[in-house]
Formats: sequence, C-alpha cells, structure tokens
Amino acid sequence: MTEMHHIPTVFYIFALVTILYTIYNFRRFFGIFSGKPESKLPKSFLTQLNHLFRYGLLQRKVFSNRFTYAGVMHFFLAWGFFILLFATTVDFLTARGILTKFLPALDTPWFAFINDLGGLMLILGLILAIFRRTSQKPEKLPNSSLSGRGNLLGDMGILIFLLLLAVGGFLSEAARLGADQPQFAAFSWIGYTLSKALSSETWIAIKPVIWWFHAITSLLFIAVFPMTKMFHAFVVFLNIAFTDQGKRGLLRPMHVSDLLSDPDADIENISLGVGNVMDFTWKQLLDSASCTECARCTTLCPAAQTGKPLSPMKIITDIRSALYNTDNGKSNDKLIGKLITETELWSCTTCGACMEICPVLIDHIPTFIDMRRHLVLSEGTPPEMAGESLEKTAQNGNPWGFPKSKRLKWAEDAGLDIPVFAEKKSADVLYWVGCAGSYDPRNQEVSKAMINIFKNAGIDFAVLGTEESCTGDSARRMGEEYIFETMALQNIEIFKKYSFNKIVTQCPHCYHTLTHEYQDFGANLEVVHHSEFLNELINTGKISLENNDEGSVTYHDACYLGRHNQIFDAPRSVIKKSRGRDSIIEMPRNLQNSFCCGAGGGNMWHEINEGDRININRFDEAIQTNAATIATACSFCLIMMDDAMKVQGKEQDVEVLDLAELVNSRLKIQI
Amino acid sequence: MKICVLMKQVPDNDSAIILSNDSSSIKLNDITWCTNESDTYALEEALLMKEAHGGEVVACSFGRESSQQVIKDALAKGADRGLYISEEESDGFDILSTAKIFTQALKDENFDLIFSGLQSNDSGNAQLGLLLAEMLNMSHAALVMGTEVLNDTRIKVKQELEGGWFQWTELDLPASITIQSGLNKPRYASLRGIMMMKKKPIDIFDSSQIDSTGSKNKIFLDKMYIPQKVKETTFIEGTPDEIASKLGDLMINDIKVF
Repeated sequence: MTEMHHIPTVFYIFALVTILYTIYNFRRFFGIFSGKPESKLPKSFLTQLNHLFRYGLLQRKVFSNRFTYAGVMHFFLAWGFFILLFATTVDFLTARGILTKFLPALDTPWFAFINDLGGLMLILGLILAIFRRTSQKPEKLPNSSLSGRGNLLGDMGILIFLLLLAVGGFLSEAARLGADQPQFAAFSWIGYTLSKALSSETWIAIKPVIWWFHAITSLLFIAVFPMTKMFHAFVVFLNIAFTDQGKRGLLRPMHVSDLLSDPDADIENISLGVGNVMDFTWKQLLDSASCTECARCTTLCPAAQTGKPLSPMKIITDIRSALYNTDNGKSNDKLIGKLITETELWSCTTCGACMEICPVLIDHIPTFIDMRRHLVLSEGTPPEMAGESLEKTAQNGNPWGFPKSKRLKWAEDAGLDIPVFAEKKSADVLYWVGCAGSYDPRNQEVSKAMINIFKNAGIDFAVLGTEESCTGDSARRMGEEYIFETMALQNIEIFKKYSFNKIVTQCPHCYHTLTHEYQDFGANLEVVHHSEFLNELINTGKISLENNDEGSVTYHDACYLGRHNQIFDAPRSVIKKSRGRDSIIEMPRNLQNSFCCGAGGGNMWHEINEGDRININRFDEAIQTNAATIATACSFCLIMMDDAMKVQGKEQDVEVLDLAELVNSRLKIQI
Repeated sequence: MKICVLMKQVPDNDSAIILSNDSSSIKLNDITWCTNESDTYALEEALLMKEAHGGEVVACSFGRESSQQVIKDALAKGADRGLYISEEESDGFDILSTAKIFTQALKDENFDLIFSGLQSNDSGNAQLGLLLAEMLNMSHAALVMGTEVLNDTRIKVKQELEGGWFQWTELDLPASITIQSGLNKPRYASLRGIMMMKKKPIDIFDSSQIDSTGSKNKIFLDKMYIPQKVKETTFIEGTPDEIASKLGDLMINDIKVF
C-alpha cells in the first residue's frame, strides 16, 4: 500500500456540503422525468455503445470544417478535461488505498506525464475559448449566457473559473514537488518546471494556502457544475445514449383516427401537440438540457441567415428554460406566445441544417413540429395563407385546391396516353406524379419528361390519376396531423387495390413521406426517387443518351433528398452522364451543407414577411458559379429556383432544369 | 344572444362543372362541395359575437344529405348546435318556397339574430335573409360589413353602399342580417374542434313533415348553360397623356372599378 495523503477533516465537511449542493442543483434536471413517454427510443445496445464512443468520447460531430477553430478549441478542452477527470479519479481511489495494486501512483512517470499534459491542454483550450469570446465574437454565439441556466458565472465566467482551477492545479502540484522533492518529479514536466521557480522552503511555507485554494475552487466547481455550461459534459452522454440516429428528424405519429374513435377521450383536456413544456417527451426535454449553446444550428439555419425571427438554438434553450422553471415538472405556463413566438415556429423550413450540424444530436424538427401541432390542432391558428392550403388539401386532395378530377389534365392537354391503374390494375412501376407534377405548370414539364423516359426505356408503368391524393407532407410539417393522416390512410387504401413492385417519384417530399412516414400506418413501400431511377436506367443501358458535352451544371441539393435521405451521388451521376463528366460546378454550400430553397416545412404555402427570401439567397449562390444550368431534383426546389430566376431577371443567363428534363433532352429517341 | 347562421352547401369554385344531358342540372358526381363563402363569414361573425357577449350559435342548413357536412364544419369551428332540414330535391325550390320552409323550421326557436351570407355562390338569389325577416317579423339589414351589439335589444350594423360608401344603421332585435364576405377572418377548424363537434347535437327536420302549405314554386328553371368565355383586348394608342386619360375613362365608365 502506498502512502495515503493527509487530508484535513474539515475538507470532508466541505466536500459533503458540496455534494449535497450539487444534488440540489441537479433537481432542475430531474424535471425531465415528468415528460411524456418516448416512442422513438433506440433498439440496439451495440449501436448505442458505438455512438457513445463516436459522438461522445471522440466527439466526431464537434469537428466540422465549417467550425474549425471551435473544433480544435473543443478538442483541447474536452481531452484536457477527460485526462484530468481520469487523473483525479485515480488519485481519489489511491489516496484511499483502493485498487492501489492496479492503479498508478501520483509520481508514476507515465501517469505524471499525461496528468500534466491534460492540464496544459485544458489551459490551451481555455485560452482559445476566451480569445474566441473576447476577440472573435462569433455573431450568433450567445453572450448573455444566463438563458435557462441562471448561474451567475455565465459562459465567460465559467472559462475563467476553469482557468483558475487548472492553474491552481499546477501550482499545488509544483508546491508538492517543491516541498517533497520526490524521485520522479521531472515526469510531472510542467509542475516540475514551475517548482524550480521558488525555493523548497518557500513552497513548504505556501503549500497549505495553495492546496486550500485548489481544494476550494475544485469543490465549488463540483457544486455549481449542474448550473453551468459544463453540465453538457454529463447530459450529452445521456442524450447520445438515448438518441436513435436512424429516427432523428422523423415525426412521432399521433394516430388521430384512434383518438377520434376513442369514446373516452377527454377532449377538453387532451393535449394535441405541445403547448406546455410538460407535453414534450422526456427525450425531447433531455435534448433541451443537452444544448451547449454552440450556436452552430442558428449560424447555418436558412431562416436565421435571411433575417427571419428563428433561432433553433433559442427555441431549444427556451424549452430548457421552461423546464428548469417548472415546479417539479408541474407547469401550466404556455410555452408558445410567451417564450416562443408563432412566427419563430412558422419560419422553420424543416431543412434539417440544424440537426445535421448539431454536435450533441438534438432532434430539432420534430420538436418544432410538435409545437406547430399545438397551434393548428389545438388552437386552430395556422398562418392565414397556410390555413387556406390546408383546407384545400382536405377538400381537393392537393394544396393548390385544383379539382381532383383534373389531376391528369396535364397529360390530356399534352396528348399523352398514360396507363392508369384503374384500368390496368397491375404494373411494375407505380409512377407517383405528385401534386406539383400534376398541377404546377413548371413541374408538369418534368412529369412529361418522365413519361417520355418511361416509354423510351420500355418500363411497365401506370399512374393512379384521379385516385392519387397529396401525400400530406406539407400538411404534416405544418402540424396538421389530422389532414396528413387522412391523406395517408386514403392513399394506402388505394395502394392496396393494385399490384405494383415499386413507386417512382420525382418529388423528394413525396419520397420521404411515402418511404418513412407511411410505415407508421402499415404501408411498407419500395419507393425510388427519380434521381436513382434515372441513374439506374442509364447504368443498365435501358436508355441511351447523346452526350453533347455542352454546358456546365450546378446542382442544388434538395433537403429532403440529401440531408434527410442521404441521396447525394445519384443526381450527380445523372448530370455527369447527361452533360459530361466534368460538367458539374459545385456551389460552396453543397451536399450535407446544402442551403434550403425555402419551400419546405409548409413554407411553400405562406410567406414570412420578415427578412430576405431564402430562394433568392440560394439562387444568387447558384448564379455565381456561372453554370449554364441550375439542376434540381425536387418539385418545390424547381418552383423556387425558377421563381428566383424570374425575380432576379436572369432568364437569359441561366436555365433551371429538373434532372428528368436534363435526361429527356439527351434521349436519342423522343416518343 | 341566440344566433342562427344559415349555411348552404355549394359547389367549390374550382369544381369541374359538367351539365346533365338535358341541360336542366349539373352532374353532381364530379362536384367538390364546400360551404358557401359568405356563409363562412356569417358564421365567424356569429362566433365572435358569442365570444364577446355569450349565448348560443346554431348552424342551420337546408338541402341534400351531404349538406350536413356544412353544419359539421360549423360545429367544429365553434357553433353549439346544428339544425338540418333534409330535402334531397332542395335545388328545385325557388327562394320563396325555401324561405317558407326555413320559417317553419325556425319559428319556435325565437332567435335574437339570424345571420346569413349575402348570397349563395350557386343560385345567387341574395333574398333568403330578407324574406325570413319579413316572415318571422324581424328587422333586417343586407350587405353588412360590421356589427356592434348595443344592448340586449339593439344592434348597430355597418352596411355597404355603392361607390365605396358605408352606412351605420341601428336595428331592433330580433333581426335578420345578411353578411358580406371579408368583414372578418373565418377561423380554421382545429382537430380539437372536430373532436368536440362529434359530441354536439344536430336536430334533423324532414322538410316533407314541415307544414309548408303554400310553398309552391313560382319560378321554374328553363335551361342551364355554361357561359362562353370571351377575351377582349383593346389597344389604347396615343401619347402617354392621351393613353392615361382614355384608360381612366375606361376604368371609370366601362369597367367601373372606381
């Protein structure tokens, strides 16, 4: 047994008080246990273990080439902290004579070495962080720091406090080495160097003062830990453990039809969506407690970047604020209208940029939609124009409000003879035209191109025609779960009538809804986006293209194709094969970092009157590539880019085309 | 305040209208039905009044089975009770006969106010509210753009006159008022409202059982046709001043937009 350090009894009294105070400070966090049950929990233990390692310990998502400085800074802070945590734990155990056979002693050379390395890394990280907050001052990084946490130190204060802690650690090490002169002192390379600054006698004299300084700052840190930004170091691990990466971004089904047929439903008091903080699931509350306020979401949010009153971070921290202010999970305070305004919620395009960049895996979109559900389903207050499109969706099966009976008019007008399931009953491919493809003149061109491609490739296909209804995507994202579910159940009934192998659609919103969201209502469909379908037709030689190698193309990644469904390569491959291998000029914001067109999340159907238009922002970025063509692979993106082209008066300089149009114009045979 | 709102189910404006072979009616299969536009404003005005002064809002519709949807929508938005007068052949009734049926159905209810849309989008008579006022001995006002309750027995209404003029008028209750579109913002039916609707009563009257002696049609439909769309383009030529003056003249005297 090694020699045990002598620790004064009064220290233990302080330590006890500290632990009690820490537990007391934890109480706010325990409010999450009063949240609603969670239906999106992960199933695989091993996957979660892997994620804890990947996103927790290695912090893979903290490192982003869009936030390099912060990534490096956090690396030093986190690993400095981890090493010191390890060292302190070992020290705590060995000082009490526990496991001394296996654990290193204070002056075991390797242990002493990494101990000092950890301290140095922490100090380096702190200096980088303090410099960032005082000189760089990133625009969106909050400075008030009190939001939802309510500690007096603030985010800057905790950095200074940690600096005192780290410097105090080195000083007390130096004092110990200076006073005791142990054999392997030199391995504590920083403490040892410091110890040479003063004489052994001086160290002996001041050692108790330094020791107490470090002891008290350490205890204070532990005491206020749950009140500070540093609390994330604990909560984030919990959050990662309970986050199913595969289900992030997917909305929780409400099963409204069950609710409507339940005779015992307490209609007056039932919570539809989230109006009060305790209507969230405990996982959503855990999300809010995990937010580190790094502001990456707000920095990249298209609504925030165009001056709209939305900050994803603010909404998440507002939820935490409400959570921390509840009285043991009891709160009847309204969340929306007080902390969070309706305009903030309606500004979200559900593009997923916030979720993509979030280092701690917060599930923003479903949380925002839950609050929209409250506004629409409970309060009946969608944005005015959106309300109209919702009523039209319910009435006519499409958000434009065109008659259902005219759903195939685009084909009739073009003189196209298209097989319809009502007559054909069975086909290999169900071509899902979608509302935009059916009614919007610009997108009708895409549908016509698709038909020509189908015929060219000899595909056995048919459409649903007047039996097709909106998938309910926009309605759902506007919080109108009732209309979404009505549409979903209606479409699923129609699917059951016919026999087909797969669905092909040009709309990523339809693709996303049919693929992921209809599952909750019993439909397991094989859905192929037209970018993948076209790519396959080209690769298998079912269609052959004349490659004229003319004209460069910049490709605008659609949020629901790229970020939400990870389809990045197929559309690029189609462009290369129809316009030449080197035809693509990428925009600065591409792939996972693509910038929204502004139409998602129901924003196609109403206007936020603050700030600039998102589609103009994106179009300007596209035009700066000097590409001859802006290619899209989404019905909404096509409308938004086409519209921006006209608003900016660039019809002579660029053309906006869908992938299908690109391919169709290169087909050797036009049918 | 006990308010009745008369609501009619009409073809949606965007509906595909196809005439029957004998041109006496439209084919109903292809029609998307909706609530008559100005009736939705009438309902909203009634609901706002109820919220401010208390009372009851009863949504009343006359027509084929599917008309009950109009009542259900009104109940989902906040009306308290429905009153459905069933008549599969309601299209065959002229406006006076229709008013007589409504009179029979409403006379025992003693409503303080009857709100109706200014006119229906399909037959466009614009008379029902006024006929009812006469038959039920109520005061009346048409083309109402605003309401203000003065006390339990009097109401003030803002009526639209021609040429952009308005007039405030005071009426004794009970009164029948026809509402012009645009005076408020009709609310959205929330899911909570739809759930509550299912627990609200709809009283059903069979129009054949209503004593409608004397309600014989005086007006008969001869023929229906879809008007030909004519596009007329006039080029105005001359100096900018001449063009402006001719354009102004056209707008004031021919198109009458001012």
